[in-house]
Parts: sequence; C-alpha cells; structure tokens
Amino acid sequence: MRRAFSDALFKLAQDDPSVIFLTGDLGFGVFDAFIAEFPRRYINVGVAEAQLVDCAAGLALEGWRPIVYSIASFMTGRAFEQIRLAVGYHRLPVIVVGAGGGYTYAHAGVTHHAKEDLALMALIPNMTVVCPGDPNEVSALLPQLSRMSGPSYLRVGRFGEPRFESPAPIQVGRARLLRDGERIAVLTTGGSAVHALAAADKLAEADMRPSVCHFHTVSPIDTAALDALVARAEVFVLVEEHGLQGGLAAAVSQWCTFHGQAPRRILRLGPSDELVVGNPKQHELQQRLGFDTDAIVAACRELWSPAVIGKAAP
Amino acid sequence: MSLVEKVPLAEPTVSTAALERKARRVRATCLVMAHQGREGHLTSALSCVDILVALYGGWLNVSPGRLHDPHRDRFLFSKGHAASAYYAVMADAGFLPVEELATYGKSGSRLPCHPCRLMLPCLEISSGSLGHGLGMGTGMMYGMALSGHRGRVVVLMSDGECNEGSVWEAAAFACAHKQERLIAIVDNNNMQAVGRTDQLMGGATFEDKFHAFGWGVRTVNGNNIAEVRAALDEAPFIRGQPSAIVAKTVGGAGVSFMADDTLWHYRVPSKEDLLKALEEIGEPPFIEVGP
Repeated sequence: MRRAFSDALFKLAQDDPSVIFLTGDLGFGVFDAFIAEFPRRYINVGVAEAQLVDCAAGLALEGWRPIVYSIASFMTGRAFEQIRLAVGYHRLPVIVVGAGGGYTYAHAGVTHHAKEDLALMALIPNMTVVCPGDPNEVSALLPQLSRMSGPSYLRVGRFGEPRFESPAPIQVGRARLLRDGERIAVLTTGGSAVHALAAADKLAEADMRPSVCHFHTVSPIDTAALDALVARAEVFVLVEEHGLQGGLAAAVSQWCTFHGQAPRRILRLGPSDELVVGNPKQHELQQRLGFDTDAIVAACRELWSPAVIGKAAP
Repeated sequence: MSLVEKVPLAEPTVSTAALERKARRVRATCLVMAHQGREGHLTSALSCVDILVALYGGWLNVSPGRLHDPHRDRFLFSKGHAASAYYAVMADAGFLPVEELATYGKSGSRLPCHPCRLMLPCLEISSGSLGHGLGMGTGMMYGMALSGHRGRVVVLMSDGECNEGSVWEAAAFACAHKQERLIAIVDNNNMQAVGRTDQLMGGATFEDKFHAFGWGVRTVNGNNIAEVRAALDEAPFIRGQPSAIVAKTVGGAGVSFMADDTLWHYRVPSKEDLLKALEEIGEPPFIEVGP
C-alpha cells in the first residue's frame, strides 16, 4: 500500500497543482520521485507531529491541498488535538495519512501499534475515515479524498500487500460486495478483506458460501449496504484489525441497534484490548488474537450449522 | 523569498497620541464587555491592547473591504482567551459593527469568549486552545510564498501559550524555512492562570529561546504603542530569518487595581469595579454601559 500511495500521490500532484505533501520524517526513499519533480511541494517538518498538522492547516487556509503523512500511531494519537482543532474545527480539506495502521508494526512494540487510529479520527466531525483493503483501493481512494471539501483520514499498511480484484466500484463511502453468498455475511475493513476472501475460497470447497462485503470507508458507514446485507444474511461476521471501540464493529453494531434492524447474530473477530508485548510478527498476532483467515473459516463453519443459526439450511 | 516591502498604510499616519487615546477606549470597552458578558480574562485582554492598537492603527495591511485579498497581511490572534480586546479593536477598525460588541459572551453571539471563525469569517483563524497560531502561521507563510503572495504573517501569542511544545516545533520550522516575513509577538505579562511564567519555565528568557531557535529578537515595552510600532517597522531583525517581538507587558495594564493581579485573570468586574476602572481610564467605551 505504501508504494501504491506514493505512486497515487505523484499522479495527484501532477493533476492538481495545489497538492502539497508534508511528512513527519517518514518515507526514506519512498518519495524520491515526488521530491525530484515537486521539490517545493514536499516538506519534511521533522519529528514534530503537532507542527506537521498545524502547518498543513495553515497551508489549507491559503488554498493548498495538504496531505500529511506519518506513522499511524503518532499521526492520530500525538497530533489528535491539532487534527481536531486546526483541521476539524476549521473544516479544512487536509488528508491525514497514517502509515502502518493497525498492527503493521506489531514487532516494533506498543509504541507503534495503531489499533485506535480509526476510532480517534471518526470522533472528529465531518471526518471521512478510510481504511483500504489493498493497494488498488489506496490508488482509487486517494484522488477521491483530495476532491472532498472536508478532512479525511487514510490508513495505509506496509509495502507489498496482495491485491484483490472485483468489479465492485471503489467509491468513498460505498461498501464493496466482493462475494455474493448466502446466510453469513463477512464484513471487513482494511487488510482483513484479504483474509475474508481467502476464507471464502476455503469455505467454498465445503459448499459454504458466505458473502464478503468490504467497508473501506468506516465513517460515514454505508448504511444502504447494511440494509441490503441485513435483508439477505442471518449472521454478520465482522473482521477488523482495530480495537472494539470506534471501528467497523462499533459502527455496524451501533447502526443495528439504533436502526432497529439486525441479523440474528453478530460475531466480531478482531484484537482485544490487551497491550501486546513480546514483539510478535503481524501474522502471528492476527492468529493469536483470532482474526486471520483460519479464524474466519472456523467462525463461519460453526455458524453455518443450522443449530447455531437456528434455521434450517436451504 | 523576497525582502519585506514597505506596504502602504491602511490609513494615513495616525499620531501616537491618537492611538494611545484609542487604546484607552479599547480598555474601557473590554471592561464593559467583561461586565456585561460575565466573562473574565481581563488581565490577558488589557495587557495586549496596545499591541493590537499598534497593529490595527495603520501597520497591518488589512481592511474590511479586502478580507480575501491574497496580498493582505495575515494576523493570527492565537491567545484566544483575550478575545474582548481583539473584538474591540476589530470593531473600531470596521471589521464588525461596534454595537455588536455588546453581545460579547452572550448566548448566540458571534463574539464568544474564544474567537470562532465559523461565526465570524473575518478572522484568519479560530483560537482558544493555545499553541496552534504559530504553527498555522508558518503554514500560511509557506503557502503564501509558494503562491507569490506578498503579505506578512503576524502571530500574537501569550507567554503562557509558549509553555506549549508545539510553539517551539513551529519556531524551528520557521527558521528552517527562512520565513523572514513572519513575526511572532509574545505578550510577556509573566502571568498565567496559576503562577508566573518565568518561574514555571525555569527562568530562561524568551529572548534566549528565540535566539537559540535562529530568530531575530527585539524586546519592547509592549504597553508602549510607539515602541511596538517601531519594532514592527524594523522587522525582519535578521535578514532571511523570522522575527520575535518580546513585548514586556503588565497583565491588566491601565487599571491600577487589576494590574499584575492574577485574581483578575478570572474575576468578572462588578458594576462598582467597572465604574471605578472607567473613571481611572478617563475615556468612553465604544459601547454604552448598561443600567
């Protein structure tokens, strides 16, 4: 996703002369082409997240289209006040990019874990919060965010995530139905989409065909898609690399509660509130905390049983 | 970045005596606003009145008819809690109706106790949370330079505000980008909500700090309009570097029983306090004293 981001950024800067990129001292070598082509529209403010965002807000007040970039934990946590007030309160079209969202930096320790980035950003009025599932979505969503009149947050992961193909269009605010199935709907955000698709492939071998619907936009949540899913699925399996509060599961379950429409059962697969120490790899952590491919397969197998769902299978 | 050009004054040269009289009227107005709006922060407002009058008394290249002129100067009022002084000076300069000052602090007013740009679009920024103005000012300056817009950026901060680390992140940035058209004014009344700025910060001076961050620095009596004006005229103090004006002020300046007394950071003046202060100031407020 990082390469997709830097490529999309370069193209965006070519298309829109008001785009200006600010980094908090992150991205060694990644933005060399951008720097060479647009030297005055590249600013490394240093390890200074408050300045990164306040400065971007000042640029936006002058009509520029700033994109700020740092490690997701620092970008959203350390600069929360600046994002809330300098950007949010001033209603400025700044794109905040958190690199290494979720547990991308699992091995780097708690300081670098960002399982609350989506929640923090979703707390800010009018903030569009986007958590792409693969590099294609990063490429497609960045230019859309840059045309919006308000602020947005874009979580990107690491380098080299797998891509998935789907005819479902990639539009901000619109969920993508990646697999049209029955009975169970697996709802994902971020890289969990890849796990859900792999799980769907395995389940198909046993004639189980859950739907997979991917919400790259967490806020505002696509309520039309939820309406459609509730109408066709008895169970929601929500998968996210994010804490319970303020992520996909929170948005969906809130919608179900307040909208008065819910599937018969909702299951969430994702990290618990524990502090993860011991420098695990990201995939080890996904396995241990139960939101990887195998965990989705296991959950769907169990839920597919009529006794669990409480209704005869077709 | 080009050298600072001398810009035409917004109004013909105004005598210092006239500006001093105006400052007394602004002070009187702040007192009425605090009394009627039931808001405090009088020490903070009164300490920066002379700085604001110097800026809006013909130095800043701004006018109500040119709010969107890309070449205007940008003035960022970062010490938002002192809003009454800012509103009074803005009203006097024609940016808002003078009678609107009577709504200060009241429910539904465009003039809340911390300035809100969503309510009052003639403001460059909203403020109230300390430590944002300088960083936003550096971004505006960078953007203006890229666009070829000629204005200067002036940020007024409180000294307590400079407790915030973000101020020094911005100070380093301004130096790194040689923002010689950026001026930071520190209203150095040495008074904050609970305590004295110099003691809380270990005694290191603003002069030393800004020097260390590569800025040109001047120290002035911030309650002396002519001195403030002279320093503004002299900026940039170092060619190619941003400028800091350390304005030595007295919290509550102009009202003897409020001067340098932290109590008046909070206290809302009673009618009796108000009349006593107005008598000492000896100039009429812009708005009437209610019953």
